[in-house]
Amino acid sequence: MKPQQSIIMPYDLLIGTLPCPVVVQQHPQSQVIYANEAAKALFKQLINTKREVLLSDIKIILHDICQTEGNGTTFETRQPIPGKNTHLWLEVTTTTVMQGKDQYNVFTIIDISARKTKELSMIQSLEKEKSLHEMKSNFISMASHEFKTPLTAISSTIDLLETKLQMDNLLNPFYQHNISKISSEIFKLNTMLDEILTLSTIVSNNIEIKKQAVDVEQVIADIKYQYFSERKDDRVLNVQVSGAPRKIYADKNQLSKIFTNLVGNAFKYSTDNPVLKLQFLKNKLVIRVMDKGVGIPPQDIPYLFNSFYRGSNVDGIEGTGLGLSIVKDFVERNNGTILVESEENKGTSFTIVFKYPPEITAQA
Amino acid sequence: MNRTILLIEDKPTLSDTLKSLLELYQYTVIVAANGAEGVQQARLNHPDLVISDIYMPVLNGYDMLEQFKQDVTLCNIPVIMLTAKTEIEEIDMALQKGADGYVTKPFVFKNLHAIIKKFIH
Repeated sequence: MKPQQSIIMPYDLLIGTLPCPVVVQQHPQSQVIYANEAAKALFKQLINTKREVLLSDIKIILHDICQTEGNGTTFETRQPIPGKNTHLWLEVTTTTVMQGKDQYNVFTIIDISARKTKELSMIQSLEKEKSLHEMKSNFISMASHEFKTPLTAISSTIDLLETKLQMDNLLNPFYQHNISKISSEIFKLNTMLDEILTLSTIVSNNIEIKKQAVDVEQVIADIKYQYFSERKDDRVLNVQVSGAPRKIYADKNQLSKIFTNLVGNAFKYSTDNPVLKLQFLKNKLVIRVMDKGVGIPPQDIPYLFNSFYRGSNVDGIEGTGLGLSIVKDFVERNNGTILVESEENKGTSFTIVFKYPPEITAQA
Repeated sequence: MNRTILLIEDKPTLSDTLKSLLELYQYTVIVAANGAEGVQQARLNHPDLVISDIYMPVLNGYDMLEQFKQDVTLCNIPVIMLTAKTEIEEIDMALQKGADGYVTKPFVFKNLHAIIKKFIH
């Protein structure tokens, strides 16, 4: 079969019928020597006229459009339409073509107004959503913080009443019992506020992680002093340390929340003194929080770290079901692992493992 | 002789209650509504101990602590901070600026009193 001969199409027929506006300008005089039908239609829109568009008109508008000239340069430009309170977004690509000694700039122009409008509306929606998100987080943070002032005033007033009744020898068992109830509810409400605040920062992904070399023994001493000393039931946290203490690389604040929560649970679900064991092994730190309390039924263990999930045997013991989900999230954010072992009515043990970072292992 | 405590707290409900509580334990209590007033009262009355909030108008607790530590007549007065924040950074900051102890809000008065007794007998 005879090979088909290639057909040479006339220049104007090819470019002239393209749906994309094309303008050719002579360099360096800036004289526009060609514009296809699509370009003429576009520039008619840009000039906002009913008469035929001349190449000289295109030259003037093109001068405005061309912020950048050069080979292969593409840029976006917003062109206002005179007499109308509107504009067009254009994507302009300039290419330099040489013909002998003559140089020409070829402009390919695409009307991207529809795409740009969608883009801008998406950006606006995203910004609005971001700002609503921030408002929501700030509101939760502000509300939790502001709730603490009246809570403190209530708890201090209760302390004042109790002290005055005691000093006047009027504190009978009835007053004592009910004052303790109010006081205990205030601190439960405070714990709930802290948990809701922490969970809201996790959910909104606003949580900042500031890892540094942390002395875990010191963190435990701080939380013991802050939350678990001078208890009304005189129970204490028994801390046992073995191995040569080393620092781990973690977020101090998150570590403090992990231990406060686990130790708080150990006090809440048992009647004896909880034990916190720190084992500084060769390559890792193993932390165990143990109690001899009510334990966790086996069927609850798989769901224990889910938000709002509470064991089936804790009716009558207050809690939000948020604490352990926060603990797991924080352990994992700090590259640790957490395990739970429990037997009903015998007790529970949580084991957390943090590996030392290479530089700390090497230094040790 | 009664020991004098300067209580710096901008919420009158809380400062009134704490003042009454401390007075039941025979302390003489002077109240200031912000850090600036606190520094002024401390210079005038030379209290045995200061209990101060952190977030207050005019001069906050951290800046007040700095002024205390720079003043030779005030730098040896023990300062206990009351903070609504439980973030360790907040507490570390207070201790770095020279606080001698802290209690997080809400607190049990017994705990606050135990800390007070460590500094003044």
